[in-house]
Amino acid sequence: MKKTIQIPLGSQHISLLEPIRFKFECENEKIIGVDADVGFVHRGVELACTRSFEFKQVGYVVARVCGLCAITHSLSYTLAVEKLLGYVANDRIKYLRMLMVELDRIHSHMLCLAHTAENAGFEALFMQIMADRELVMDLQEAISGNRVQFDFIAIGGVNRDLTPELSALIHKNLELLSDKIDTLLGLFDNNWSLSLKYKGVGVLTLDQAYTYNALGPLARAAGLATDVRVETSDFPYEALGYTMVLESTGDIHARNFVRLREILNSIAMCRNIVDNLPSGEIQEKTKGKPSGEAVVRVEAPRGELFYLVRGNGQNMLERVRIKTPTFSAIPAMMEVFKGSEYADAPAILASFDPCMSCTAK
Amino acid sequence: MIRSMFEAFKNLFKPVHTVNYPATELVLPKGYRGLIEYDKEACIFCDKCEKVCPPGAILFYQPLEGEKEYRYNPWLCIYCGECVRACPKPQEALWQSETKQQSALKEDGANEGWFVWEAACKQSREDFKAAKIKNKSEESV
Ligand code: SF4
Ligand code: SF4
Repeated sequence: MKKTIQIPLGSQHISLLEPIRFKFECENEKIIGVDADVGFVHRGVELACTRSFEFKQVGYVVARVCGLCAITHSLSYTLAVEKLLGYVANDRIKYLRMLMVELDRIHSHMLCLAHTAENAGFEALFMQIMADRELVMDLQEAISGNRVQFDFIAIGGVNRDLTPELSALIHKNLELLSDKIDTLLGLFDNNWSLSLKYKGVGVLTLDQAYTYNALGPLARAAGLATDVRVETSDFPYEALGYTMVLESTGDIHARNFVRLREILNSIAMCRNIVDNLPSGEIQEKTKGKPSGEAVVRVEAPRGELFYLVRGNGQNMLERVRIKTPTFSAIPAMMEVFKGSEYADAPAILASFDPCMSCTAK
Repeated sequence: MIRSMFEAFKNLFKPVHTVNYPATELVLPKGYRGLIEYDKEACIFCDKCEKVCPPGAILFYQPLEGEKEYRYNPWLCIYCGECVRACPKPQEALWQSETKQQSALKEDGANEGWFVWEAACKQSREDFKAAKIKNKSEESV
């Protein structure tokens, strides 16, 4: 007789934000096998980028791949095209782009923390974090003019500049936020019911992180020192006070902590950017049409985002390939599920911060 | 544990974070990217805005005689502002306001109505081209 029982999670499930389907092979309450299907929200973005839109418009199309890291997508694409055009942005543009990317990281990490709390059964904390997250959302809206679709980065620069009022607002909101994050650090560390749900649950060891090629906060929580921000030189991260946040235990608690401390680091970097903004043009003319092939890696909130753009000197591109962090992290995720309790699955899943619409695009 | 219970109790007496929308108006930040507005008097009909628009939310109808007719789909627009940056007379012919677009009703024909207009514009261009070629060949005869 068969000893195991199959339990599906998804494609529609109360703990899921986006459609993904897991098939868990369970022995009593223990998960021993996982099967995942991620392609429920496929929209054909890659093909649309090469068939329906000219290369100058594609930046606005790829921004719609994901609602959370819209800015990272348009940034990666823009960097790739700028490489093909042989254009190098000036420092002011770089700083402004970094500012938006780091603000984006803060709010994305906060969303993930909120959902991990919710899926562990702590609804009140979810509400609290989401309310605090508005501080960053307001900043992004004030800077870019829109709450979710920033459309801030364009080929050859950025679309809007920072005014003195905006700088003051950024400082004010980040000040408020960093206090709240400090409180959260204490809460996530000391709250008894949260530690039952998080500590020692969903462990990814350092070895596994290596073997299954984990990335982003998932890898850094296991102690694997990988971050595209230090591996590439597109942006002056080191000069602005970037520090790599590493934990060693690799459980949900460690992942939460990596995120919380990265938020603090990002807040510090944003302040530095605003204080040390170089002068210069915010938009410059680029000439020519992209020809050749360029590969760009950018650290999205969830890990490495990879773009390949190939053009042949025409207005239409030949190929746009997007490899999102969640997609690359699937093997590591599956490994974490094995051996844990079924009841922990939602919290573990939320702690990966999976983004399905990115993955299926 | 005790502390978080105390915090939870305190939260009962805090003001709410949410806004009673739509009864209360949302406060939009200064420089909110809203609808695109157009002034026919200043426009030179260069079609640049139509060409750069990513979703194709600006279309010009080309009649056989007289000036082109501008039409804008506020529900298709993504408020990116590309058209304004492309326009040779920004702020005069084309500018971005801070008005937020309301949701479309069925009568607005945000989709179906626009498809009809799109087809009509395409047809008008072809007709215009054909008429031009015809005129030319008549002149040369
Ligand atoms: S704002 Fe963007 S989407 Fe809207 S009409 Fe202008 S170019 Fe098109
Ligand atoms: S770009 Fe400006 S001037 Fe040209 S057609 Fe559009 S509105 Fe008129």
